[in-house]
Amino acid sequence: MIEHRSTVSRDAPKRRLRWAAALTAGLFAAAACSGPVSVEPPQVDVPTPLPEGIDFDPDISTDPADESCDPLASYSPGSVTAEQARDTLGDQELLVVGISQSTNLMGYRDPSTGQPTGFDVDIAKAIAGHLMGDEAKVKWVPMTSGEREEAVNSGTVDMVVRTMTMNCERWGNVEFSSEYYHGGQRLLVPTDSGIAGLADLTADHRVCTGAGSTSPKNIAEQSEAQPVTVPDFNDCLVLLQQGTVDAITTDDCILAGMAIQDPTLEVVGEAFSEEPYGIAFAKGNTDLARYVNGVLETMRSDGTWQSIYDTWLAEHLGDATAPAPVYQD
Amino acid sequence: MTVQSPPAPPRQQPAPGGVTSPVPGPEGVAERGRQRVSRLTTSLRQTPGQLRGILAVLVVLTLGAGVTAMVSILGKNAVIEETTSQSGRLSVAALDLYQALSQADATAASSYLTPGAASEEVRDAYREALRDATVALTTAAGEVETSADAQLVANLNAHLPVYTGLVESARTFNRLGEPVGATYQHQASTLMRSEMLPDADALQHNAIDQLGEARESAASFPWIPAVLAALALGVLVWAQLWLTRRTNRVFNLGLVGATVAMVGMVGWLVLVSLASASHTDRSHEEGADPLALLAEAHIAAQQARAEESLVLIARGEDSKAEERYTAQMELLTGEDGLLAQLNEAYGDDPELADSLAAAQESAGTWSAGHDEVIKLARAGEYSAAVEMAVGDSEESLATSFDALNEQLTAATEVSADRFVDATGDASRSLSGAAAGLATLCLLALVSAAIGIQMRVAEYHA
Repeated sequence: MIEHRSTVSRDAPKRRLRWAAALTAGLFAAAACSGPVSVEPPQVDVPTPLPEGIDFDPDISTDPADESCDPLASYSPGSVTAEQARDTLGDQELLVVGISQSTNLMGYRDPSTGQPTGFDVDIAKAIAGHLMGDEAKVKWVPMTSGEREEAVNSGTVDMVVRTMTMNCERWGNVEFSSEYYHGGQRLLVPTDSGIAGLADLTADHRVCTGAGSTSPKNIAEQSEAQPVTVPDFNDCLVLLQQGTVDAITTDDCILAGMAIQDPTLEVVGEAFSEEPYGIAFAKGNTDLARYVNGVLETMRSDGTWQSIYDTWLAEHLGDATAPAPVYQD
Repeated sequence: MTVQSPPAPPRQQPAPGGVTSPVPGPEGVAERGRQRVSRLTTSLRQTPGQLRGILAVLVVLTLGAGVTAMVSILGKNAVIEETTSQSGRLSVAALDLYQALSQADATAASSYLTPGAASEEVRDAYREALRDATVALTTAAGEVETSADAQLVANLNAHLPVYTGLVESARTFNRLGEPVGATYQHQASTLMRSEMLPDADALQHNAIDQLGEARESAASFPWIPAVLAALALGVLVWAQLWLTRRTNRVFNLGLVGATVAMVGMVGWLVLVSLASASHTDRSHEEGADPLALLAEAHIAAQQARAEESLVLIARGEDSKAEERYTAQMELLTGEDGLLAQLNEAYGDDPELADSLAAAQESAGTWSAGHDEVIKLARAGEYSAAVEMAVGDSEESLATSFDALNEQLTAATEVSADRFVDATGDASRSLSGAAAGLATLCLLALVSAAIGIQMRVAEYHA
């Protein structure tokens, strides 16, 4: 027993030493290394570029339209002279006109020439020709549709010729000329879409239109299609080309400005709303309104209106004649 | 053990039962445990046992100090390595990516405005920005270590070709003179602003957070090894005093050696930690901090420039773009804006002061010019507005914007060099420390063991 114990006792320190050495080495080794990392493969949605503020499920206003007035009824030309009309201008030598710079065919700044062009612009030039005696005596002020009423009333511009629909609400803020273009809401679709009009739209079709206009309400009331709104209707063309929407609906002349940029698109169907365009003046400036109405009469009768229409819009919207004026007095 | 114990001090006889009983029953096992405890307490009442006890405490403390010191030094080294490699490269790549994307967008938008075909210079700038963006994305993809970052990189990778596709469509339609080109350019910028830049920003913030954590752990003082080493030293000193009283010999060479080794170890550990902390702090204060601010300024400038172009592309009919321009400009040149912060913090720095002051001046010139451009555009002087925004005259906004960019780049280069220098110094200050500390620790261990064993052996003689 004693013998046995003595061998154990002699071996034990050695074994302990080995353990200690192994432990020490292990500690230092563990201190010196760190583990690898693994990262899960990521999941990515298919990227679809969309304009800011696009709404696939817009709130459609159900307010009934203000029909308390006849929106077409302007002031009869009477005997206001060019001189009297010029007296109402901010600068007697320069007619300041508010236009759009971004509505193709109506009011658009051509980047290569830097000059504004389009139906609205030519109408304004013809008016300047009569009022100022020189079509070049015009200063163009670009503006958004939201700025139009404030611009005439603050005197920033003398008049606004910018795809502006006459309605009773706006009559409360500005004076309008007689109707110079009779627009209506229509559809722009790809030529091979099989959509020939409002009746062909189903609940599966997405129809793009500008927010804040009456267009979404009109399309929602008259078809099953899903309206999609964007802050700027120009975005609709890109969305149609990218296949995000199936059709675009807005005023026909604006659709024509889109159709001309893409040979695979066409304007189809009958107009399903009335959009009478008028020239806006400061509230109370009926002299200028009367004079311009006189000029518009002349342009209707001497073929000026027809040639402007044929130049810009006839190709995509077909033949049309000038709308007849309506006067309230 | 009891067998080998020297006879000199009084000792108890081992309990006969536990040793001689040939077949220990269950009571025997419990008995044996009690005996082991009583043997230990007995031996601790005797000098050799006490000496071994001291050795055991010293071994635990010294080993603990050595291992934790090595862990902390290796950890610091790894972290510093990481700031120059993984998270460092990731944050640099994320910043590069963010900048390159902003620059691509600013260039694409302003080249859309240039009448006719864009100049060779502008086209090259766009292509270079895209190359920088793809290179940065590739680098970032190789360095990401979290699922969230991998997701961001994948999103950016998925969006970049869509973005370039939109830009090319915009150019084609622009060449054909079709207005829809402007909408494509606008959509491209929207994709960049609302999808890609936020992802790049998030990636950058994650990387900077990782850098910040790295800074803290690289600069933190290694308290645990320091305390353990101090305790070990204390025990060593006490053991020597105790031995002196017991044996009347002043020095035990082994323990003296162990003490010297431990003092060396503590000194080295403290010096190295303080040095690396000061270099790491310097790398952030003179490198990473100004780099982050400069990058933000760069990005704000690029985004303001892109928005400015969008205002003109939209023919002045995009009031939101104008608002976004104003917000970015405020961020850049406002009272507490990025340039003001940079000038405040680094205006005294001889290498940075000139660039920063000039950058602030260029930004002022640009901002004033922008108001002029908007006035022209509002007044219908569209061509003049575009000419002033993107032309190459001295008064052109392009001139002041380019000058601003150059000055920010110059300041960025100075700060980047400093960052690299300081992290290099921090890394060098740690070189050899881990191995050295481990060696000193082992030396102390062996010396202490020898010193104690020498005394224990005297009891066996």
